[in-house]
Amino acid sequence: MKYLYEKDLRQMKYTILTSTRHDETVRAIARRLEMPDAKLRMILIRRLDMSLLENLESRWQMGREHADQNDQVAQELGCELFTRFIPLVDPDVMRSICDETGRMIGDGSSRDEALAKGRARIREAALA
Amino acid sequence: MKKTVDVSIPLGPMHPCWKEPVRIKCETAGERVIRTEVELGYMKKGIERIMRGRPWQEVMFLAERVCGICSVVHNMVFIEAMEKISDIAVPPRAAYLRVVVNELDRIASHILANFSYCYTIEHETLAMYLLNTRETVLDNLERITGSRINTAYMIPGGVRFDLLPEDATALLADLNKVEDEMRRYTRIFETGPLIALRSKGIGYMSREEAIRAHTVGPTARASGVEDCDLRLRHPTYRDLGFTQITRTEGDNFARVMIRFQEVFQSIDLIRKCVENLPEGPIRGGGLCKAGETSYAGEAPRGELTYTIRTDEYGRVLDITIRTPSVMNIEACAHAMITDATSIADVTSTFISSDPCIACNER
Repeated sequence: MKYLYEKDLRQMKYTILTSTRHDETVRAIARRLEMPDAKLRMILIRRLDMSLLENLESRWQMGREHADQNDQVAQELGCELFTRFIPLVDPDVMRSICDETGRMIGDGSSRDEALAKGRARIREAALA
Repeated sequence: MKKTVDVSIPLGPMHPCWKEPVRIKCETAGERVIRTEVELGYMKKGIERIMRGRPWQEVMFLAERVCGICSVVHNMVFIEAMEKISDIAVPPRAAYLRVVVNELDRIASHILANFSYCYTIEHETLAMYLLNTRETVLDNLERITGSRINTAYMIPGGVRFDLLPEDATALLADLNKVEDEMRRYTRIFETGPLIALRSKGIGYMSREEAIRAHTVGPTARASGVEDCDLRLRHPTYRDLGFTQITRTEGDNFARVMIRFQEVFQSIDLIRKCVENLPEGPIRGGGLCKAGETSYAGEAPRGELTYTIRTDEYGRVLDITIRTPSVMNIEACAHAMITDATSIADVTSTFISSDPCIACNER
């Protein structure tokens, strides 16, 4: 929606993301999603508001401790991590990615291959 | 995700209920608030950048200027981080005096937070009573440290001033007065029908949501998060038999009540310290050295973390401060206020999480 007094917050959001701890977190998330740092930074700036960006490091820390503890495939894909802890992907889309990956593994596909395809779909969904 | 919105209501950056400038954008459908977004950047100080490259003697004064409400704990956490890097031991008397000053600061902060909440829900009588009592606490801080706000009381290896016997007597007498008054105010808050209407069941945050956003301090403890008070791991507090207070309601009422309860706990801790104050020096020796550490302490609003890298002269090469408001404000915007039944509850819920914009923006 369009606000009457809307400011362009991109520069301020970028400043938040380039502080020492935030930069480390962005690099860690980018490594996990196998995507370039700059592209992830762009997605984060577009999708998250300022307070969520400020809290990115804490949410990443808590997500690694508490997210997807019962499901191995969901944990490797970051099902809960990238929807509820760091909301990069729509929960319904993520659910379908996780189900699809689980089905591929069940059908006899290689686990690594299925997970790689799942991660590629997560990247696409985050970029959409 | 797109949502149908009736009206977008911006609150702030200048708002009569807020102590500091911040803008909350509320997307509403009728009276219901669908979601909110907190927009920051109205008072960025860039204090971490100013600190870099400076000797610890200068950074110490800058650290307590991060926040004007809980300045003592910024001083304490920075100094304890420097002590951790440099293996500096603190004499027992100084350790106890640190707790006295830190807890006085916590009482002042909690009373101010509850004042703001009562003022926001239009209970001005109780708000003014609380502000009056806070003055007594600040007078004691001034008596011990020489200053009401930026005390610079703690230094590596000890504290700057001893507690004189006449000051200890006056402190204990004032604590009795504060305790009596706070008991009365807590009863007013607990039993007030207007307060219950505006506070109970409003701004609910579940334990899971609190954990997800890494909520800290009284805000987390009011949602039933256990083992989240860092005083449980501090050696001096352990020595004093500290235990965490937790509530399970997770609403505005619980957040304010937990601060009232913690005021009484702080009063007991100060009494214990003064009555069992060890004899001995208040300053040990020690030089600040090169090293790197991440050290956290319990501020009035929750976990405060300093990550510091120093050189062999004690100059701060790199510093990052993670303040509790970073987590609490985000949890407030995305969990407590989301799907609020009335726009009138946005301000009171925001204030109930005790947001400190100065800390958040640093």
